[in-house]
Amino acid sequence: MVSYLARRVATAIFIIFIVVSLSFFMIRLMPGNGMEFLQSQLSRQGGLTTQQIQQQVNAIYGVLPTAPIWKQYLQYLGHACQGNFGTSMSFPGKPVMSIIGNALPWTIFSVAVALIVSFVIGIAVGTVMAAAQASRITKFVTLFVSFLSAIPNYLVAILLIYFLAGRAHIFPPGGAYSADVIPGWNWAFIGSVIMHSILPVGAYALIGFGGWALQMKGSAISTLGTEYVRAAEARGLRRRRIMQSYVGRNSMLPQVTLLALSLGFMFGGSVFIEQFFNYPGIGYYLVGAVNSRDYSLMMGCFVLITISVVISNLLVDLLYPVIDPRIASPAVRKRRTTATSAAEEQPAAVGGTMA
Amino acid sequence: MKEFSRDLWRILRADKSALAGAVLILFYILVAIFGPLFFHLAAFGDQAKPYLGPSWDHPLGTDSLGQGIATELIVGTRPIMEVGLIAAVITTFVGVVVGLITGYLGGWPDVVVMRVVDIALTIPGLPLIVVIAAVIHSSDPFVLAAILSITGWAGLARAVRSQAISLRTIDFMAAARVQGLPLRNIVARQLLPNVGPYVAIHFLLGITGAIYAEVGLFLLGIAPISGTNWGIMINLAMSQGALYTTKTMLYLFSPMAAIVILQVSFVFFSRALDNLFNPRLRVQ
Repeated sequence: MVSYLARRVATAIFIIFIVVSLSFFMIRLMPGNGMEFLQSQLSRQGGLTTQQIQQQVNAIYGVLPTAPIWKQYLQYLGHACQGNFGTSMSFPGKPVMSIIGNALPWTIFSVAVALIVSFVIGIAVGTVMAAAQASRITKFVTLFVSFLSAIPNYLVAILLIYFLAGRAHIFPPGGAYSADVIPGWNWAFIGSVIMHSILPVGAYALIGFGGWALQMKGSAISTLGTEYVRAAEARGLRRRRIMQSYVGRNSMLPQVTLLALSLGFMFGGSVFIEQFFNYPGIGYYLVGAVNSRDYSLMMGCFVLITISVVISNLLVDLLYPVIDPRIASPAVRKRRTTATSAAEEQPAAVGGTMA
Repeated sequence: MKEFSRDLWRILRADKSALAGAVLILFYILVAIFGPLFFHLAAFGDQAKPYLGPSWDHPLGTDSLGQGIATELIVGTRPIMEVGLIAAVITTFVGVVVGLITGYLGGWPDVVVMRVVDIALTIPGLPLIVVIAAVIHSSDPFVLAAILSITGWAGLARAVRSQAISLRTIDFMAAARVQGLPLRNIVARQLLPNVGPYVAIHFLLGITGAIYAEVGLFLLGIAPISGTNWGIMINLAMSQGALYTTKTMLYLFSPMAAIVILQVSFVFFSRALDNLFNPRLRVQ
């Protein structure tokens, strides 16, 4: 278990290191890069000595443009370790990190809620579809669900805004909460946050649940063909119990692996969803930074999105041995079966209520 | 090959949604190839006729510049399909070559390349694409396709690699090795045909993924707005306030419908391929 954990953590740190380096070299080495752009912009404005320009650049990017590239790189890495990504240009004087610090919770909140909602609904629908494969309704739902999962999420966002916010005024068209509530632990604020998050979360979930349902259906169908399920049927166990404890639990394993992959996709989707809903998350600021050529904020957002994905992947990896003890160590399996059999009933029961 | 097309036809006939998908994809391809030959957009539309309703001349009405929306849709098909296709070719090619070679060779190249694959799979693709597109800022279809394929190859590479590893120990591979066949022959003649199904399905889904990201870039205004394609149409419609008026409804919804129909067609058709290549699924 410990070596499994250590390996995962080491991989995570390595990936973060790569991404931070990538962000450095993209700002510094690409043609028309951010630093040259800023320098030429400042010298065009006039009235500044070369010294002052360099100080400005230093203040925004946190490195001296005249230093050798390896020195800049080390400086950048050092600052990144302290969570310092320089100062934003489009929000003068504001450190990139404080902007991101305000934005990230919104993204994590909406993505996490959407992921849980779509995962739970998808697993439930998929299990039901697998249990009744031959029925007409299943065939129709399969068709409908694969139709849904093929639609790009930003188009769903546009449709939701158009019909539910623009035409019908049921939901607010944008923002994270209304201007007339005071942020804090009061009901008006929480209610406003929930109202504002329904459409963005709905846009993620509407697209997301279809994929889960289809995968769960496929996975559950192949589990249905295994011998232990046949044995359970032969023993005369009830259908419901078989679907819950034998099929549901075993076919959920591959889905948990996919959870990690889909996290990256959902964080990526935040770039679109947050833009259209004016939801002040990190994807919103990423696009804003791109459009105003605010490279330090852009790279800060990109690095932080990646770090969020890496950390959530790590959490999923840590969750995996809990669901399937065989992952951590095959030898543990025997010893722990008795201990976990009681605990095993719990998640299976959750799957059962959905089925 | 003959057997293959007979099987495909049999499955398509049984699965009506896949058949519809295949027909629609064919239709889009024809429009992309021949559309721009027959339909042209004037540099400036008829300024006197903005926001017309559907008519004989303009079946879907006109946009703010008085240009026919249907014509714009047809002209806009090629750039979208082109970039989607190129990007899918790139991701598929890189994924297959990397997967087969690392899987077959093993050893340290395998370890190193799989680390890279891990990274490419973890970094969220879309933000990376947005950032690179912002820095490079090109509207050249090849450059755009290359940007879109930046992480897309990794998933296929890993799937192909695990296939190649399991193929390595099979008899015909041992026979090929004993004969001393060169690596090129082993990869192209022995391994490739066996991973064909994965590759074909990945190729189709690769096109949908690339189109998704490409249209997204135009929607956000990150890829340069020049020429006409569906993403640019939606972008312009939105910036003209299409969300809050009914006047521009057709301008907003026509390109959206075009995208959705194409994406859904690809997904449905890829399911038929899945059935074709995966007889185990077919029985069930």
